[in-house]
Amino acid sequence: MMNRFLDSDFFHDFLRAPVALISFCVVLILVLSAVFAQFIAPTNPFDPASLELMNGFTPPLEANMFTGEIFLLGTDDQGRDLFSAILYGLRISLFVGLMAVTLAMVLGVMLGLIAGYVGGWLDNLIMRLADIQMTFPSILIAMLIFGIARGLLPPELRYEMAITVLIISIGLSEWVPFARTVRGSTMVEKEKEYVAAARLIGLNRWQIMIRHILPNVLGPVLVIATITFALAIIAEATLSFLGVGAPPTEPSLGTLIRVGQDYLFSGEWWILLFPAVTLLALALAVNLLGDWLRDTLNPRLK
Amino acid sequence: MSFVVAKGLTRNYDLSEPLIVRALTMRPKRILTAVDNVNFSIEKGTTYALVGESGSGKSTIAKMAVGLLKPSAGTLIMDGKNLNDPALARNEQLALRRRIQMVFQSPYASLNPRWRVGDIIAEPIKAFGLIDGTKAQFMRVSELLEQVGLASSDANKYPHEFSGGQRQRISIARALSSQPEVIVCDEPTSALDVSVQAQVLNLLKALQKEYALTYLFITHDLAVVSTMANKIGVLNKGKLVEEQSPTGLFSRPQQDYTKMLLNSAPSINFG
Amino acid sequence: MSENLLQIKNISVTFKTRHGVLKAIDDLSLNVKKGEILGLVGESGAGKSMTGAAVLGLIDPPGRLSSGQIWYKGQRIDQAPETIRGHEISMIFQDPLVSLNPLRRIGDQLVETILTHMPITKAEAVDRARKGLEEVGIDPERINAYPHTFSGGMRQRVVIALALAPEPALIIADEPTTALDVSVQAQILDLLKQLCRERGTSIILVTHDMGVIAETTDRVGVLYAGRLAEIGETRDVLTNPKHPYTKGLVASTPRIDASSFDKTLYQISGSMPKLDAMPNGCAFHPRCEFALDKCRIDRPSIIADRAACWLLDGEETLL
Repeated sequence: MMNRFLDSDFFHDFLRAPVALISFCVVLILVLSAVFAQFIAPTNPFDPASLELMNGFTPPLEANMFTGEIFLLGTDDQGRDLFSAILYGLRISLFVGLMAVTLAMVLGVMLGLIAGYVGGWLDNLIMRLADIQMTFPSILIAMLIFGIARGLLPPELRYEMAITVLIISIGLSEWVPFARTVRGSTMVEKEKEYVAAARLIGLNRWQIMIRHILPNVLGPVLVIATITFALAIIAEATLSFLGVGAPPTEPSLGTLIRVGQDYLFSGEWWILLFPAVTLLALALAVNLLGDWLRDTLNPRLK
Repeated sequence: MSFVVAKGLTRNYDLSEPLIVRALTMRPKRILTAVDNVNFSIEKGTTYALVGESGSGKSTIAKMAVGLLKPSAGTLIMDGKNLNDPALARNEQLALRRRIQMVFQSPYASLNPRWRVGDIIAEPIKAFGLIDGTKAQFMRVSELLEQVGLASSDANKYPHEFSGGQRQRISIARALSSQPEVIVCDEPTSALDVSVQAQVLNLLKALQKEYALTYLFITHDLAVVSTMANKIGVLNKGKLVEEQSPTGLFSRPQQDYTKMLLNSAPSINFG
Repeated sequence: MSENLLQIKNISVTFKTRHGVLKAIDDLSLNVKKGEILGLVGESGAGKSMTGAAVLGLIDPPGRLSSGQIWYKGQRIDQAPETIRGHEISMIFQDPLVSLNPLRRIGDQLVETILTHMPITKAEAVDRARKGLEEVGIDPERINAYPHTFSGGMRQRVVIALALAPEPALIIADEPTTALDVSVQAQILDLLKQLCRERGTSIILVTHDMGVIAETTDRVGVLYAGRLAEIGETRDVLTNPKHPYTKGLVASTPRIDASSFDKTLYQISGSMPKLDAMPNGCAFHPRCEFALDKCRIDRPSIIADRAACWLLDGEETLL
């Protein structure tokens, strides 16, 4: 299996695409540092007990005027080590992004398969729903779902459930591209003779959709998933920036940027800059990787 | 009674615009009759060839025969049992369907590209519960592969690793794995090169002899069925216009349409 | 008839892949005489379409004409095929919609083609377009119709009118009737043949169908695995094939014959080698029942102006 992959045209092309290689390395470094944050980060920024307000607003690589402590990337208003905060924030961003994409993908692929294979009024219903949703910016949809969910939750659960609600809101706002693509490929695949052969031996619709058609429509899904992952990370940051996402006690990249923005004009530039650069690097790298995947997996563009 | 009988087989397609458009424009319904009251019968262990040009309805008949399409009227009877009997329970219908399988036209689209050849051939065995146990199923797949002239080790490969002719062999092995009595061959060689076409036609004929298979052979090429059809039916615009043995059809065609088909088929014979 | 219009000299077309360089056409030579119909027959992947594309300089990267020369009317054209493409040599494809723009009236497309090749007025060009349609059996009143309003056979007639409009000396027709019903195919082939005879136009007819070759062409070249296996007068080649591959092709072609029932068709075992797994010596030897030791080592060139087969060489004329 591994050998087959290493010998594939896909891997071969990958080694010869500098943009894809660099993007992949950036993503890999960011993911690894997020996963192993507790070993890399000097402090735990989510632990209120470790915060020393006196350390607030320390510039990068300068000794704090009260405590004399030095921080790699400086500290925020609460005296949080920014480097640690970014690593932990990255973790939340990546987790929310990954879960949201998974939700959007499962939902979109299932609905697309059903719409494409069953057709008729069900197809109409699903695709019109998609059309309606596409007329609104997805961030608006996410905010709407977020607002409704928050309203339904009892107040004591709001903080606890914030991340879950965030995932569901972003996930539900991004299923449409998956559904549309899968529906299109499904309509092509279902006319092929291997599907007729499966019908001849009495397989039911679900068996045909899942066992026969699904594996053949997943190629483009991978590309959309990558690009949607970048979108989801930005959506998470946007929601957190607007103050409706991750709680301030467990700041994500977006929360950090929101905090930094308050202090930008009073000279504490680093609080905004470092989280923003990290977010940018992550989103850009994932996006470039997605673009490369799309070009490589689509033979028509070759 | 013959083993397979098509009785008044008819298929209509409704090409009308939506009701509201028709009401506004006062246009009538447009019904296309793709297959129009077609009757034929096939003896057990013989080949019946349906020959026609595009739009003759030959593929529609093939689809109705295996149950991929429902006839608008008429029915297909196999071994005295009505395949289109609405009173049949699902499992009875499935048991009947097992006995009539199909080999498709495209060597590329008829095999799922993501499945291994062994899994493709084993699927009907599992679906119909013909053989229990992975080991026994595996043995059966090997046997089938060898029967169609492939190696049992080919079971682990994917379809794209095979040539067009080899894929048609895989397709034949899959049809055989249901242990059918009737096989509908829908232009099984029209996408193949001549030298490979001969291999596939000879294979089909050898299998027919061995298992007393009954073939309904759909083709646009009269020459292809000259070595194996016991009877040839000529289809024109959904109607069966002539039916004869190949000897009779080739030497004494009765209908102008048949004569035209015979004359326009490019021939390699000189003089 | 004997004057050579087109000379293809030892051309090779190679594709560079990461598994190495593949030869889609390997040292192929043939001539097209003035006014003749030359058939190129072979299995898919034998290089017959590629040969037509090479003449017109239509080989897309990563493929390229890596060696050999192509001469047209005594002029070398493989370096700059654009100058004769369209003007002197027309192309007819299997799918008429490749040549026809679906969004434009057929008349406009014809007139445009005529005007780019001839210094005449628009009114004269329209006149010629109408005549051209009439010649291919299409009512000139339909000059303002769009391609989709024609049936497949009629569309291919329009394509022929379009191909003939610049009055080319050579037409390369790549499987022009493969997508059509037999009855329509016969009409189209007759039409092509008749029009070219009248004008002295040469045709390279690429097809996989031995019947089409037999009924349409004057000479035929049989291609196998990118190499020329046999070439000669069509009647000769089909009734008395010299190369074992041609023999096999002819014998395995089913015929409409009242006596063929229940006979086993002759079959060539195996299949054509893939480009990345070419055998040494003659490309056909693994499937050849007459193969000699020599065939496994040395590649034969065309012997006696007829076939690339060692069996034709001197003593070993066992055929």
